[in-house]
Amino acid sequence: MGLACFIMIAMYVVDELSYDKYNDKAGRIYRINSDIRFGGTDLNMAVSADPMGAALKKDYPQVEEYTRLYASSGSKLIKKGTEFINEDRVVNADSTFFSVFTLPAIAGETKTALNEPNTVVITESAAKKYFGSTDVIGKNVETDENKSTLYKITAVIKDVPHNSHFNFYFFFSMDNVDYQFGNFLSHNFHTYLLLKPGTDYKAFNKNFPQVIDKYVLPQAKQFMKIESMKDFEKTGNRLEYSLIPVTDIHLHSARGVELSANGNIQYVYIFSAVALFILLIACINFMNLSTARSAGRAKEVGIRKVLGTEKKSLIGQFLTESTLMACLALLLAIIIAWASLSWFNNIAGKQMFISSLLQPKYLLVLLLLPVMVGILAGSYPAFFLSSFQPITVLKGKINSGFKKSILRNFLVIFQFATSIMLIIGTIIIYKQLNYIQTTKLGFNKDQVLIVNNPGVPNEGREAFKNEIAKLSGVKSASFAGYLPVSNSSRSDNTFSTEAVMNEKNGFNMQNWNIDYNYIPTMGMEIIKGRNFSPDFGSDSSAIIINETTAKVIGYDDPVGKKLYTNNGPGEPNLPYTIIGVVKNFNYESLRKNVGPLCFRLGNNRWVTAYRVATTNIPGLIKNIEATYKRMAPGMPFSYEFLDESFDNMYREEQRVGKVALTFAILAIIIACLGLFGLATYMAEQRTKEIGVRKVLGASVPGIVSMLSKDFIKLVMFSFVLAVPFAWWGMNKWLQDFAYRIDISWWIFMVAGVVALLIALITVSFQAIKAALSNPVKSLRTE
Amino acid sequence: MIKITGLEKYYRTEEVETIALNKLTIDVKEGEFVAVMGPSGCGKSTLLNILGLLDDPDGGSFVFNGIEVAGFNERKRADLRKKNIGFVFQSFNLIDELTVFENVELPLIYNNVKATDRKKRVEEVLDNLKIMHRRNHYPQQLSGGQQQRVAVARAVVNNPKLILADEPTGNLDSSNGNEVMQLLTELNEKGTTIVMVTHSEHDARYSHRIIRMLDGHAVTENILI
Repeated sequence: MGLACFIMIAMYVVDELSYDKYNDKAGRIYRINSDIRFGGTDLNMAVSADPMGAALKKDYPQVEEYTRLYASSGSKLIKKGTEFINEDRVVNADSTFFSVFTLPAIAGETKTALNEPNTVVITESAAKKYFGSTDVIGKNVETDENKSTLYKITAVIKDVPHNSHFNFYFFFSMDNVDYQFGNFLSHNFHTYLLLKPGTDYKAFNKNFPQVIDKYVLPQAKQFMKIESMKDFEKTGNRLEYSLIPVTDIHLHSARGVELSANGNIQYVYIFSAVALFILLIACINFMNLSTARSAGRAKEVGIRKVLGTEKKSLIGQFLTESTLMACLALLLAIIIAWASLSWFNNIAGKQMFISSLLQPKYLLVLLLLPVMVGILAGSYPAFFLSSFQPITVLKGKINSGFKKSILRNFLVIFQFATSIMLIIGTIIIYKQLNYIQTTKLGFNKDQVLIVNNPGVPNEGREAFKNEIAKLSGVKSASFAGYLPVSNSSRSDNTFSTEAVMNEKNGFNMQNWNIDYNYIPTMGMEIIKGRNFSPDFGSDSSAIIINETTAKVIGYDDPVGKKLYTNNGPGEPNLPYTIIGVVKNFNYESLRKNVGPLCFRLGNNRWVTAYRVATTNIPGLIKNIEATYKRMAPGMPFSYEFLDESFDNMYREEQRVGKVALTFAILAIIIACLGLFGLATYMAEQRTKEIGVRKVLGASVPGIVSMLSKDFIKLVMFSFVLAVPFAWWGMNKWLQDFAYRIDISWWIFMVAGVVALLIALITVSFQAIKAALSNPVKSLRTE
Repeated sequence: MIKITGLEKYYRTEEVETIALNKLTIDVKEGEFVAVMGPSGCGKSTLLNILGLLDDPDGGSFVFNGIEVAGFNERKRADLRKKNIGFVFQSFNLIDELTVFENVELPLIYNNVKATDRKKRVEEVLDNLKIMHRRNHYPQQLSGGQQQRVAVARAVVNNPKLILADEPTGNLDSSNGNEVMQLLTELNEKGTTIVMVTHSEHDARYSHRIIRMLDGHAVTENILI
């Protein structure tokens, strides 16, 4: 079982580490990351400006090629037969994309596939999903852009491997992107560089300040009064670019606008450690039990020695035995792993197959593993047993000094310390998750139904919303293009407290266009001033800020003050009057603090939100769908609840929680199996003593407590050892969350008590059995 | 002190029922030193176990100190035993992990004697048996004779009314054996009742009376005094 755990976790870790290595040129592909701080807000993004790649290729010979992905337009509606399907695995790619990334074609030629506008490369699965076959070269993909746009399929590629940091079905031509190209100040493209062999990317990073001076600064001067980047940096602002190896993206990058939710190297470390610990615990069990049983085999050793066997060959014998055992265990482990893999995939969110173990490199590891385990687990017993003196053994005087074995005590302590750490970790993870679920967010995530209505034509959306608002069970309705969950749309802009922006009065903040009903629908709270209202004619130049913004701009009473911003490069700065302050709400994951944000009146009609109050949710949804189908025939209907989207932000943590829980339980079970074995052996060893004590008048509880005491002491000691490690580790984990629980002492107590109880039950079972045995029997065995 | 009438004890395995004691009747008076002899399997050890309240008879009556104890439950027997009976075994049965002092102290602990009293009492006994200088040694560090002295010390530390000895000299050479027999005689002279199982005619001669057993019966009794 220990081995099975090890195999599964090892597969998990190997899978996590394998991301993006499928690319032939993986070692030379880098992505440009942008780090911007402007007006106290940090933006760490996986995207960069659209002309950056071309500029770098032009100026620096180290850059062999660049390629960009544009995923900012979100999902597209794609026609299948007569119906449109909402497809979110779409992206626009440069024609160079397939010469940088290794995505083999099964039909067509990818090198030239995206050279022309209105071309598309699709994956095998997409072809099967939309056309029912992969023989689709030359056919057209129809999207809803400008009512209807046709794209010619120029290549079909194999599906993007699951261990890739992106997973798209459709790669449309970059020429079709509706975007004002050439803007160095707008960061919307995932840009990848293919460096020439032998280029050091860290050294290459040093070129970026030059690039900024040459390209970015001239454009920045157009709307800001700065002379050089130094001016910009003097006030604590910064603009930096850097390269990240593509193979590091999955585990080391958690930036804004990633192409998919990435993993976390921390978890890889944690799980590797857990896997090793479990394997060690299992080995320890083997060592402990075989040394414990050694008395039983002592006679065999004695006789063999008398018959002339050398110590060396005895050691060989025991090591062979343990290696054979390990091989058997491995076979069993593979079977267990095979049987439980789908379940493990489920909780770990992976797609791994047992057949992947058949690759030559894994096979080698699988062959070496039992040998290593066998030697590791077998060495101590082997040396211990083979060093018995034949005479003392045969005289039956082998008195293995059971209680005094420091090594064995150490091993038990190690096992339990590990288990206790895992228990503590699990409790804390679950507590933090629970805290996230119940913490006050500044908005009410319950009972909010989100309906996407991309299918309704823009002019009909107001009518659609009003229709739904009339349905019974709907309390309020609002357009909600921006939602306080992290996978929703975002928009930010620079603002200033004076009409002319400079590096001192300017700052960046989220800038959400909302309607009159948004704040009540979301259950947000205005703490100063008022909400937008149709009763005031001037609200189109009004602005509502959150508490963080109020703090950033520093006015005691911000209501009535003005903020300035422009609505596009080259346009004049316009004044907006602050009419209210909304209580801070968490619009990103609780890992982050609430940044500055403002609301302005505007139209973002692609999503509607409804606060509902009904027990018949399915009925309500049916009614909404009927209305939708009437107003947008043939268009896909999709809805979700705000609390579900909220939970999705923490899926990774939930997974980790489940995985940790599973392995904590396994570690405890394995440790207890070992303890049980030891207790059995100990009780056997001490039968005589127990007999004597009983004859002298010891009571059954007295004997049980005497037998358990030693083990309990060990568990207590492991507890003392485990607490600081667990505290340190979990504290580190919690640092990821801007909003987190305190680690309270009772968590440690609970973990300690649980471990103690489990150990107690395990040991006392044997102890009670031993204590109840008739002393006459144990004393007669002479 | 001991009055056994028609005592029966069987051992059952799945197929066979062995009669260990067959309507045995024995009397032991207070202050007596009785040796029990007989071939292997005659029921000596069974008798000693029942006398020591370690085992319950299957039939008959066993009056100990005027109390009928046949049918007592485990707890009652343990209680009576720890207050009244000391044991000396052929293989000493000292606890290896405890020192001489701690071994001798054990019965007092189980009788809830206070720590200060215990220390006094244990030292007194060790002194009497001339093993005081070994008090901090472990059993493995002692010779067989010394170990049996410790065992005797442990048996008497609680001032029991009855000492049961199961072949106390069986694992000892003759001089050590004689010393132990001497010890038992002295204890007996101070008033302790002793029942001893032995194979040795020589040892048996230290007693007042020999009960010879065969197949669960008491066959003859030799009065030696």
